[in-house]
Amino acid sequence: MELTSILQGIISLVLILGLSPLFVGLVNKQKAIFTGRIGASLLQPYYELMKLIKKETINATSSSFISAVTPMINFIAVVIAAAMLPISFAHPLISFEGDIILFAYMLGLARFFQVLAAMDIGSSFEGMGAAREATFAVFAEPIFFFTVGSIAFISGFTSIYDIYHSIRLDNLSFVVFIIVCSISVFILAVTECSRMPVDDPNTHLELTMIHEVMILDNSGIDLFLYQYSSYIKLFIYVILEASFFYPFAVQSYTLGIIIFLVVIFILSAALAAVETITSRFKMKNIPHYLLFATAIGILNLLIYTFTR
Amino acid sequence: MLEFSVLILIPLIAAVVCYLIKSIRSQYVISLIVGAFHLLFSFIIFIGLYKPNLPFFFSTDSLSKLFLLILSNVYFWVVLISFSYLKRPVTLKAQEGKKYYFLLLNFYLFANTAAILSNHFGMYWVAAEATTLSVAPLIYYYRNEESLEAMWKYLFLVSVGIAFAFIGILFLTLSANGTIMEGQQLFFSEFVKNAAKLNPVWLKASFIFIFVGLSTKIGIAPMHSGDVDATSNAPSPIAALMSGSLRITALLGVMRIFQILTPTSSYEFAKLILIIGGLLSLIVAFIFMFKVNNYKRLLAYSSVEHLGIITLGIGIGGLAFAGAMFHTIYNSLNKMVLFFTAGNIHSRFKTREVNGVSAVINLMPWTGWLFLLSFFAISAIPPFGIFFSELMIFRGMLFSDKPWILAITMFLLLFIFINMGRTLFQMLYGEKEEKNIQEKESFEIIHFAAIVLLILLIAIGIISPGILQENILSISKDFGIRL
Amino acid sequence: MQNILSILFCLSLFYLAVTPRVKAYVAVLRFQGILLTILLMVPFVEQFSVFAVILPATLFIIKVIIIPRYINKIILELDIKRTIEPTIQQFNFLLLVIFSFIVIFLASSILSLTTNIETIPFASGFAAVTVGIFIIIFRKKLIVHVCGFLVLENGIFLFGTAVASDLPIMIEIGVLLDVFVVVFLMGIALNRISSTFEGFDVTILRRLKD
Repeated sequence: MELTSILQGIISLVLILGLSPLFVGLVNKQKAIFTGRIGASLLQPYYELMKLIKKETINATSSSFISAVTPMINFIAVVIAAAMLPISFAHPLISFEGDIILFAYMLGLARFFQVLAAMDIGSSFEGMGAAREATFAVFAEPIFFFTVGSIAFISGFTSIYDIYHSIRLDNLSFVVFIIVCSISVFILAVTECSRMPVDDPNTHLELTMIHEVMILDNSGIDLFLYQYSSYIKLFIYVILEASFFYPFAVQSYTLGIIIFLVVIFILSAALAAVETITSRFKMKNIPHYLLFATAIGILNLLIYTFTR
Repeated sequence: MLEFSVLILIPLIAAVVCYLIKSIRSQYVISLIVGAFHLLFSFIIFIGLYKPNLPFFFSTDSLSKLFLLILSNVYFWVVLISFSYLKRPVTLKAQEGKKYYFLLLNFYLFANTAAILSNHFGMYWVAAEATTLSVAPLIYYYRNEESLEAMWKYLFLVSVGIAFAFIGILFLTLSANGTIMEGQQLFFSEFVKNAAKLNPVWLKASFIFIFVGLSTKIGIAPMHSGDVDATSNAPSPIAALMSGSLRITALLGVMRIFQILTPTSSYEFAKLILIIGGLLSLIVAFIFMFKVNNYKRLLAYSSVEHLGIITLGIGIGGLAFAGAMFHTIYNSLNKMVLFFTAGNIHSRFKTREVNGVSAVINLMPWTGWLFLLSFFAISAIPPFGIFFSELMIFRGMLFSDKPWILAITMFLLLFIFINMGRTLFQMLYGEKEEKNIQEKESFEIIHFAAIVLLILLIAIGIISPGILQENILSISKDFGIRL
Repeated sequence: MQNILSILFCLSLFYLAVTPRVKAYVAVLRFQGILLTILLMVPFVEQFSVFAVILPATLFIIKVIIIPRYINKIILELDIKRTIEPTIQQFNFLLLVIFSFIVIFLASSILSLTTNIETIPFASGFAAVTVGIFIIIFRKKLIVHVCGFLVLENGIFLFGTAVASDLPIMIEIGVLLDVFVVVFLMGIALNRISSTFEGFDVTILRRLKD
């Protein structure tokens, strides 16, 4: 690997880590505007993270070492996943044949430890949240594999960087794939990052929470790691989706970056809009929602396999 | 252009006129004149005095000539008795529906003629769907819960079924792929000419879809339920119209596609499907005859049975095919008498339950005897026509390669006869209840129609006119059957 | 272009499978009508003829404007509740739909080997027919049955474009009018049902039995 590409990878990783709270701030700001409020400043997520670092960490007396190590593992796994993502044209830090599987399971590992830690504490609320998280993860995982997987199948590559660079928009059916995939990736992002129609991050009732209830008992640096990694995770999915639109600007770098930024902005607006206009689904309806996204992925695969 | 205007345009114009005229009596007169003209014209065409030359998507052949005659005959008699039927007292709610009665009848004639004469599958589809649309509101004549439910079910089931038939028609387009028919219009006569070149897989699929789809309208098992509900809850003239002509129109669609299949390798397959459909209908009629307590429903199942016999005859081929063609004529005549008289019984006893009806022969001698005679006729007792046609079908079965079907059919028909007879005799004789004794019934136009129809039934059966035989021979020739 | 529209059509079918609201069905019907209109307009890019506008115009008027409005009016007038009242779990319904999609795409790809068909519109049209039938079978509300019937009709329409059968315009318009009158009659029947029976379920239609 050349030095420049390593440098590119490091820069993009730093960008992801640095900008992810900003994205959350952007979404929150727009949401506030949509609902007619002024809203917190764009940098509010940074302030919150700073505040958390300063606080003392307290672990429950009944918890074992798992609770202690999980925030770190969680964070590291997410960062590794982030390191596999190409930002615009930059070569990612980690990139090899088949890294798409590693990517999916790094996120899976993060979730696994989070669930484990939630059960470790022994609180019934957290156990409930863990159960929900695990259940919905079962439905969410096929979405990833059917959508991103179908694109991998179509392009014939198994590395995220290569997949995205193989998308060509001169073929009309690719446009369809992108439209279709971006819908299901959006749903995936909403699910994995516990956003609105699936989970309400602002709720105050533990019984209706999914993600937030698992980290009820964490504080200080642990909570910081959790929060930060969830910001990063959202940003990862956003980039995953925005990356579909590279090929529009294969000719010119500047145009590529502009489109990239525009798409990210549109996505934040879309997230904010969805959170404004929808209310949280009933728990029993969430599987339908997720299966719907899976169905889109399957449709993609079907269309590709049978119509060449 | 003359034939086109008389057969197709005038009914449509009459429908519009009926919408404009408020008086039911003048609507009746107009419809009757239109019906008489239509009958006269289709008779002239049938006996070959006039060679029709229809424009657009229409044309005639022996099959459509026969079916056209059946349609106009049924239509004429139904219109003839409709006025006396409309005079009968009904609920206040049903009163307002009367003003659409003749309008819809005329529209039905228009649509059905168009369906029978169409030479284009698309046209046939549109017209057949239009017949459903014109009949559905007529089913709801009584404006009660049963008729509403029957109308909904009929409309829904038949619309879905006919949508499936449309898929079948599209498959037919596909079967023409790669032949000289590709990209051509769906003219049925063209398809018959080039049938051997069509793709057999698509042709089979097309046949199945059209058969299953239209069988909701023909009323053969297993898609009979909507049709049975509709026939049993519609007013009697409409029930006669449906049993006598509407089902035949749907059968025409199946026969068209069957004719295309005749010279191809899928012929045996299609025959098998038709035989299965026919036998299933017989079995369904056989089972339900045991438990039906509603005499109009009984007659509806009898329609299922007879359409089943016709389908069976067409499926067996040979002599049975010709028998089936005769059977369509006799069945339409006979069903009219049955439903007309059943309608009389219904308006006297105000119930469709068998248990509520007794001593019809004593109370209503005209109706009772005619009902009895038409029951004998439908059970294929000589000298009524159905006897001859069923005999022909049975002979065809016996000499076909599947003689065992005859045994099954005979067995089923015997039990259908016994069960139907048991129920009907209970109605005709039975104990006389005191409260029902009223004045003797007078001779009405319905009885006149029934008598004429029964005489026709006997006369056609015994005389067996040469022109009819020639026509049926020519139909058989079109279907590649040598007699 | 045809493929893109068909895929969007498939997406609308998936949406039908998950949505629990009657209103959403009407919206989807409208959306499908727009898709079909665009589908008919595609050939105009190359050659434009005033005569050929008649069919898409009629389609648009009937399927996008009149029928959805009419159904909405019925819903409003009869005060029909907004949920569709499924008889099986939505989740299982969606699984069923996915499964039938797989089968249909598989079958049509096999069929396209021997015959010249546009696979994606063919399969989507057929899938719509299947979904329409499923909606009729697995939903209780009568108004939803009407919607299912219309989805089925839309599927047949799409299917018809896939097999490249060009029926004469007169007949195509006849088909559209027939569909419209069917829906119209069903609407009247629903009106009567609401005044005669209590409720709009299939369960009330059980008087006619043997």
